[in-house]
Formats: sequence, C-alpha cells, structure tokens
Amino acid sequence: DGAVTLGPQTEAIITVTIGATVPTGFEHTAADEVKEKIGVEARISRDRGRIYFQITTDQLFQVHLLRSVDNLFVVVDEYEHYQFKDTKEETLLDLQQLASKLPWTNALEVWKLNNSLKKKRSRRKGGNGTKVKPDSEAMDAGMAEAEQQQPPQPLSSESQAKEESTPELETIAQEPEESAPEAKLIKFRVTCSRAGDKHSFSSNEAARDFGGAVQEFFQWKADMTKFDIEVLLNIHNQEVVIGIALTEESLHRRTITHFGPTTLRSTLCYGMLRLCKPQASDIILDPMCGTGAIPLEGALEFHNSFYIAGDNNDMAVSRTLNNICHIQKRREDKGSVPGLRIDTVQWDLCHLPVRTSSVDIIVTDMPFGKRMGSKKKNWDLYPSCLREMARVCRPGSGKAVLLTQDKKCFSKALSRMGGLWRKLHTVWVNVGGLHAAVYLLKRTGAMFGQTPEDVHEPQGMANTPEDEK
Amino acid sequence: MKLLTHNMLTSHVKGVTKGYPLLIKATEVKVNEVEFNPEFVSRMIPKLEWSALVQAAEGLGHLHELPAELTPDYEKNEEFLKKAHRVLLEVEVIEGCLQCPESGREFPISRGIPNMLLNEDEV
Repeated sequence: DGAVTLGPQTEAIITVTIGATVPTGFEHTAADEVKEKIGVEARISRDRGRIYFQITTDQLFQVHLLRSVDNLFVVVDEYEHYQFKDTKEETLLDLQQLASKLPWTNALEVWKLNNSLKKKRSRRKGGNGTKVKPDSEAMDAGMAEAEQQQPPQPLSSESQAKEESTPELETIAQEPEESAPEAKLIKFRVTCSRAGDKHSFSSNEAARDFGGAVQEFFQWKADMTKFDIEVLLNIHNQEVVIGIALTEESLHRRTITHFGPTTLRSTLCYGMLRLCKPQASDIILDPMCGTGAIPLEGALEFHNSFYIAGDNNDMAVSRTLNNICHIQKRREDKGSVPGLRIDTVQWDLCHLPVRTSSVDIIVTDMPFGKRMGSKKKNWDLYPSCLREMARVCRPGSGKAVLLTQDKKCFSKALSRMGGLWRKLHTVWVNVGGLHAAVYLLKRTGAMFGQTPEDVHEPQGMANTPEDEK
Repeated sequence: MKLLTHNMLTSHVKGVTKGYPLLIKATEVKVNEVEFNPEFVSRMIPKLEWSALVQAAEGLGHLHELPAELTPDYEKNEEFLKKAHRVLLEVEVIEGCLQCPESGREFPISRGIPNMLLNEDEV
C-alpha cells in the first residue's frame, strides 16, 4: 500500500528500529548511553559510526535527548546480506522494484510523530530559530579573523531538545494532534551512502533509480533542498539499510554558539567525558579548552563535577566565557537555576597555577600539527604537557582523556612517562577528516618529583622541575 | 572566579615556595545561584584547604557564619553544607586581582577570569 494519509496520529504504540550516527570510535559509549537512558541494548553496525536499537514510539522524545548521537533515522528495512544482481542494469532495476515492496507504514508513522515533536519544540521558541552556520570542523586557523566579527547566533531548534524535555512530556500528553491540511504534496529526496568495492553501481545511480521508484510509488515530489522527507539508502558491502531521517542537521552544534577555529562537536566531547566516567565532586580540568566545548558539555551532562576551563589565548577564554554565559542565560529564561559548575582561567598549560595532586580528571583536545600549532611545536609541547598534567593530577585515582592527531609524537612522549601515566585504552576517531586518537590514561600512584622522569629534563624543556608547591 | 577555583589556584612565579593561598583583592563581587547538591559539597570538602576558603570568604565579606573549623559529622549537617555551597560556588569575583603572598606579583581578574600568565622572566 503506497498511500500516506496525513490525518490525526494513530494512538497505537508501535515498535521500530532506530538508527543513529555517532562519532566513529565512540559506538560503544553511545550504546552505553542508550542502555542507560532508553534501557535497551544497541547493536553496533559493521558500518562504522552507526548503532541500531529498538524503541516503542512513546520513547521517541527520549531518543532526541541522547548526547552521543549526531543524527537519527527510523529504519524502514534492513538486509544483512543483500543479494545484488550481476550487472549494473539488473541491480539498479532490482533497487527500483524494491521501493514498492518495502514496509513503509510504521516508519512513516514515526516520521509523522517526529514532525509533531519538532513543531512543538520550535513553537516554544517562537518560530524557527536561525540555524547556526559555521561548519566547525571545516574551519582552519585562517578563518579566526572572520570569527571575531561574527555576532552570537541563536541555536537551531534541535539544540533545545534537552532543555525542554520535561515540559515537552506534558505538552505531548495533553495537546491533540493538529490536523494537517488535506492532500498536502510531500517533497522528498533520497540520500545514498555506499561503501564497498564489489558494487557495480555508484551511490548517485542508486539514489537516482531508487528515488525515481519511490517517487512513482508515493507520488511525492522530488526536491533536493526543500524536502519534507529524507529517505536514506545506506549500502555498506552487503549490508543494506533503508531509513527515513529524523534529524534535519547534525545535533552536534547544540552547545557552542561562539565558535573557534577548532571547536569540537559536542557528541565527541560527550563521548570523551563518558570514557572517563566523572564522579560526584570530581575536579575536572581542560587546560587547553579553546571555546570550552568539552567542559561545557561536562557541566551540562555530568553536572555533579566541577570544571575548570583554561587556555592561554585571549580569544579562547573570551569565547569560553561567552558560551557559558549564553547557556546560563538560556537556563534562566526557562526558569531553571542558571549557575553551572564551571569556571574559566587564563593560563599557560606548561606552568599550571594549580596545586599539585589536586585534580581528578584532565580532559582535553591537544593541538594537532595540522589544524593548530605545528609538528615541531608538538615535540616540545607534548612532554611538557604530560609532565605538568601529571603534577596536578591526583596520584593513584587521577585520569586523563586526551584527544590528539599527532599519535606518533604523543606515543613517544607517553613512553617516557611510564612512571607517571599508564595507558588504559585508545579510541580511534575521525575529527574533521583527520584520523585522531583519544587516549584514556591513568595516573600512577607515584608522587610527582620522585620518578626518574622528573629527575631528568624532558625533551625540549629548559627549566628544572619546580619544587612541590 | 568562584572560591572553589581560588582554592585550587597557586602562584607559580619562579623561586616562590609559599605561593598559596593567593590573596584576593576584589573590586566587584557577584552572587549567582547554583543548584544545591549536598553530596557534591560534602565530597568536595576533603579536597579543599578549608582555612584558605574561610580566609577568602571573610576577605570578601561573604563569610556568613561559615565555621573556621570543620566539625565532625559535617556531612550530615545540611545547614552547614548550604553555607559551604554558597561560598564555594555562588560567590564570584568579577573584577580585581589575585596576589602572590610571597612575591607580591598581581594577577588581574577581568569578567570573572583570572589571568595567570607569567612573563618570560618570571617563569
């Protein structure tokens, strides 16, 4: 049956599979969050950066509150071992025929429900907020100039999801579903992502032919830019998943309004924080905070800890402060207690003005040779960093979660710090197209100033070790 | 700058051995509401230098009967925890400076952000 009616929402609660894209490398932490907040097991796909889990439709609003996911879609159907035909022509014809055989009904119901959730969120804001424009990861240092003149921009509607969750619950239960206008023409597009070297077709061809058949079947209008429905065709070797998008743009620009040249998306920040499992009253430092993305995510999501965001750069601390103030103002506007457990300091990370052994966790994004700093600088910087971080970090219980693209330099620096740091785990991630790694380190029980590393001057440092303060 | 942060900060000027606690000279102080969580406060207290906190709060005129000594069983004393919460998280120095007790070097505080950067010769 191909007809889609736009009448009142059905009352029945149905079970569907939701797909979520997450930062590659953080599939397990995302699955953890799903287990914790939705209460279901998530399946990690062979296609990196994707997890799947089942929900009942009354849980949809909760799904939007997940902090580890970038984009959400509802699965129409999935094939683990799709039998592609031998020739391109036959394969594409087969995909066309597939369109009319798929079980669209439930997925479309979820899409409708999702729309009504979105409308309510943006209505609360008084219409659609302007979307945040900067593509944070595409920026390089050269754009820092342009950044300065940019006035603060309101967050997009998705970003309100978390703050509005509790009031939303009541709204959904009481408001009747608005009746949509009759016979509204639906506009759609198909996005195909294809990976694998045994396919006889390209993603464009698949999108075109599959899309053509979908159009034929539903009598929708194809529109690449102003679409109501985005149909997703994901082909990863023999795994084929057809879905309908539930998010318009990445959720990851939720927290930061004042961007810097290398602002990390908040899903990545959340993943890093979740790795180190912040406990109540943990003192958590980000000594190279940039715009404060990581500590701000922490102050919101793991709010029983205390965050100190520090950087040596004037613009960075200023932006961090602006980002914090923006969030606090937003909380105040909603009637929540505004204050966050976070503070900002301007400092030099190689000479931290912080008491020895006083910090529980250090989480930070270390300068990449390509995006910021330089490879040569890193050779000098990394050993000094690691030493100073070891000094302030609590022996025995302290932890560090460090993101870096310069894995070679970092590993070398770390290998000379065995007395102070022990590597627990490495997560391979992708940041703005660059292959990076997140290292989870444990501070050894050794007191600073007593291990061989402290006696010899580390590479690049001119000063002798400071006395314990 | 919150007083909890101040409790962590120390002077790192070269040659200084008694750089803690930094003296606060405030020209603007604000009180901002932060949600009270008794567990957060009680677990934080062992990590603090209590006398430095009391001294700092007193200097700002925000002591408000916070005791100079910790009493046993403070974890269960909600009145006390609320006072500690206020002093740790809600009192903020917006403008002023932090002074190294040994060298006298001043670190400015602007918009609530202390600038702890040292000049090359001080490092």
